[in-house]
Amino acid sequence: MQTAARVVITGLGAICASGKQPEQILDSLLDGTISIAEIGGWDGENWPCRLGGVVGFSPRELINDRKLLKLIKKTDVVGIYAAEQALNSAGISAYRESLASAADDSFAERFGLYVGTSGGYYDTQYDFLPLISEANGSMQAIGERLGESVNPMWLLGNLPNNVVCHVGIRNKLKGANACITNHGTSGSLSIIEAFESLRIGDTDRAIAIGHDAPVEPQTVLYYQKAGLLADAQLTPFDADRSGCILGEGGAALVLETLEAAESRSAPIHAEILGKGCTSEAQGLLPVRVDGDGVARAICLALEQAGLETQQIGMIVCHGNGTRTSDLSEGVAIRKVFGTHIPPITCFKWAFGHLLAAAGSIDTVLALTALQRGIVPAIAPLRNIDPSLQDLPIAKVAREPISDTALILSRGFGGQNSALIIRATSR
Amino acid sequence: MGLVTPVGNNLGETWQSLLEARSGVAPISLFDASGFSVRIAAEVKGDTYLSNTGHKRLSKAATRSHLFALAAAEEAIQDAGIRPDAANGHRWGCSVGTGMVSVDFPELEALQREAAPAGELNTDLLLSSSIASDPIAFCRSQSAQGLSLLVERYAIKGYTTSVHTACASGGQAVGTGLKLIRRGDCDYVLAGGFDSMISPLGLAGFCLLNAVSTDNHNPHTASRPFDASRNGFVLGEGAGFLVLEEWEAAVKRGARIYAELAGEGNSLSSYRITDSHPSGDGPIQAMQQALQSAGIFPEQVDYLNAHGTSTPMNDRSEAAAAHVVFGSHIKDLSVSSTKSTMGHLIAAAGAVEAAICALTIHHGKVPINANLTQRDPDCNLNFICDKAKDQAVRVAMSNSLGFGGSNSCLVFREPGAS
Repeated sequence: MQTAARVVITGLGAICASGKQPEQILDSLLDGTISIAEIGGWDGENWPCRLGGVVGFSPRELINDRKLLKLIKKTDVVGIYAAEQALNSAGISAYRESLASAADDSFAERFGLYVGTSGGYYDTQYDFLPLISEANGSMQAIGERLGESVNPMWLLGNLPNNVVCHVGIRNKLKGANACITNHGTSGSLSIIEAFESLRIGDTDRAIAIGHDAPVEPQTVLYYQKAGLLADAQLTPFDADRSGCILGEGGAALVLETLEAAESRSAPIHAEILGKGCTSEAQGLLPVRVDGDGVARAICLALEQAGLETQQIGMIVCHGNGTRTSDLSEGVAIRKVFGTHIPPITCFKWAFGHLLAAAGSIDTVLALTALQRGIVPAIAPLRNIDPSLQDLPIAKVAREPISDTALILSRGFGGQNSALIIRATSR
Repeated sequence: MGLVTPVGNNLGETWQSLLEARSGVAPISLFDASGFSVRIAAEVKGDTYLSNTGHKRLSKAATRSHLFALAAAEEAIQDAGIRPDAANGHRWGCSVGTGMVSVDFPELEALQREAAPAGELNTDLLLSSSIASDPIAFCRSQSAQGLSLLVERYAIKGYTTSVHTACASGGQAVGTGLKLIRRGDCDYVLAGGFDSMISPLGLAGFCLLNAVSTDNHNPHTASRPFDASRNGFVLGEGAGFLVLEEWEAAVKRGARIYAELAGEGNSLSSYRITDSHPSGDGPIQAMQQALQSAGIFPEQVDYLNAHGTSTPMNDRSEAAAAHVVFGSHIKDLSVSSTKSTMGHLIAAAGAVEAAICALTIHHGKVPINANLTQRDPDCNLNFICDKAKDQAVRVAMSNSLGFGGSNSCLVFREPGAS
């Protein structure tokens, strides 16, 4: 069998409540800035939960295409924005200008698109509420007045795979693709599927994008009623942590085989070394307290990477601030790493849980932090949970003990993923 | 394999209906569609599939499409004669193509009454609404719920994923399953798709786009892929699941092997949201990659189960693609779109049609492209018409082309022929 290709990262993009570039977001994290605020989108005065990590930029500031903006939702806007930022930072369009037409066609067909996204939103369906109200219980009237009440492009505007489609059309990318709607692991799986497609030679280059905008009334309320949301602050691994806070955003990485990247003298930021994906199979919301799924995912990633635990320089946890998720992550890390555990950090406390984009932005920021040689502190952390006190959780910023990071993501359905990247020395 | 389709509540019934070309299209019964421009669809008939949906604890948190999935998956697991156990559960994966998230229409109506009396959502009223307080409604409406129900039911502990590329979802899910086994992530994968958009919102979405056939008075002939008079697809619903297994392991345990899933291809048209280029650009690359991934030459393919939606643009682009890929072999290639009898199962279509391809190899019969009376000169392929054809199928290909431009192609081969 052919040896698998080595896969490198050559471009990065990110946008969330903390900023609209990876470096800017990391600066904000290092300053200890919490970019979570009262949600302004609706009157939340009487709401038990009013916090979110909302992206404040208007769509027009992010994408200059009025016609397209009429057709897509905020989640798509941040996804396309992050994707094109990553493509630019990798110098993709500049390189393509140097290609002859036939070579560019082949470039496009060998360029994959892997997107992690939400499977849909509740507010999409509110477009029908005026019609249902007006029809007053008559289904016949709903059918008859449909065209007068609902935008004819309603369905297309809400396709979960819109970012695959529009990033493809706008940037003429035509290769293998996937759109992964797998809650909290969607973003990580988009990187993992791109990585694997490059390894086996289905593509030469690929963009992995995660995007989501879950800060909408019904989602926030459901999460709150399910006991998943924090009272005031997302304080991962803290003894007093009370839950998660949702955020909006997108992040993207350009991946290439080492050969493809070197052939065009691309900037090589990092190499992807291994991944692991597991399920705990206990239903939508439960998490195993023994960390079984997380531990197995880490072991699979280490095995594929051919690394020992002591070679990992830092761990970026999922750290969503809920009691059982954080605890079980800690238990899993202890189980796999024993007593030699690298510094542990996480990022959601600053801008919220981006759900389908979480693994994407965590990977982008993990890499940016590695390049600066720093493990960012978890700023709001006051008292580490007594049952996790033996773990080197970063209350203050530290140095990674190597150039390699392990990134963990978790999602509904007991799904877990682990990804290992090594920053290129500069 | 397991199927729940508009023409059968299981694999055997569906296959028999396809061979007899019994149409699954009829006036919509699931809700009052009398005011809609389109009043026909291919609904799953009856509820015998409900005997396969498992414990009530699971099914109460399931939507209609999740119930299809639970039933089809159970049939597939039983049919395969193997299931995850404590020793190998972590080597099992699950890859599913899911539909767009939606809530049941009665729930949306209740939400309107309680929280949007004037038509605009009142967030304070939402706080006290029954739907927003119902944890089961929350779970049911989550995009990972279908997958979660399946992995919980079977204790699947390896790589699990939900994908959505509109009408290509099912094909991509099965293709993902192949990749998981090839790259060693899993030894077994439960792969499939499920969907039901025969609801007021689902139908409305397609009516607004004028994508569905308005032949309300002739439901049986409304879906006529590749016919010159075709005027849109017919909305279907259902689920299809396949148990994929690493070849050596399957042989070793003496499994009944329907077919080898030999290759998959995957491309993006990047032309328009709803169509690929009339030249076939996009689907061509997916088909060529699938053949390459299978190590099969175009002239070895005996049967193409076309995406064939019965919309003017899709069928023309797909036929053009087939001409480019198969060249002079096109006259010998049997082609049919089984959407002509069972309608378009959207996110489930690719998985159901993958199972059909495996059945053509297993049984040596090719189902027909129904309702083809006026050939479209732009779609000049060797269609199987009138009655199912007895034919030794050594290699079968299935296309799934989605809104958004994702194209998926799967290639199946007679077992042991590689």
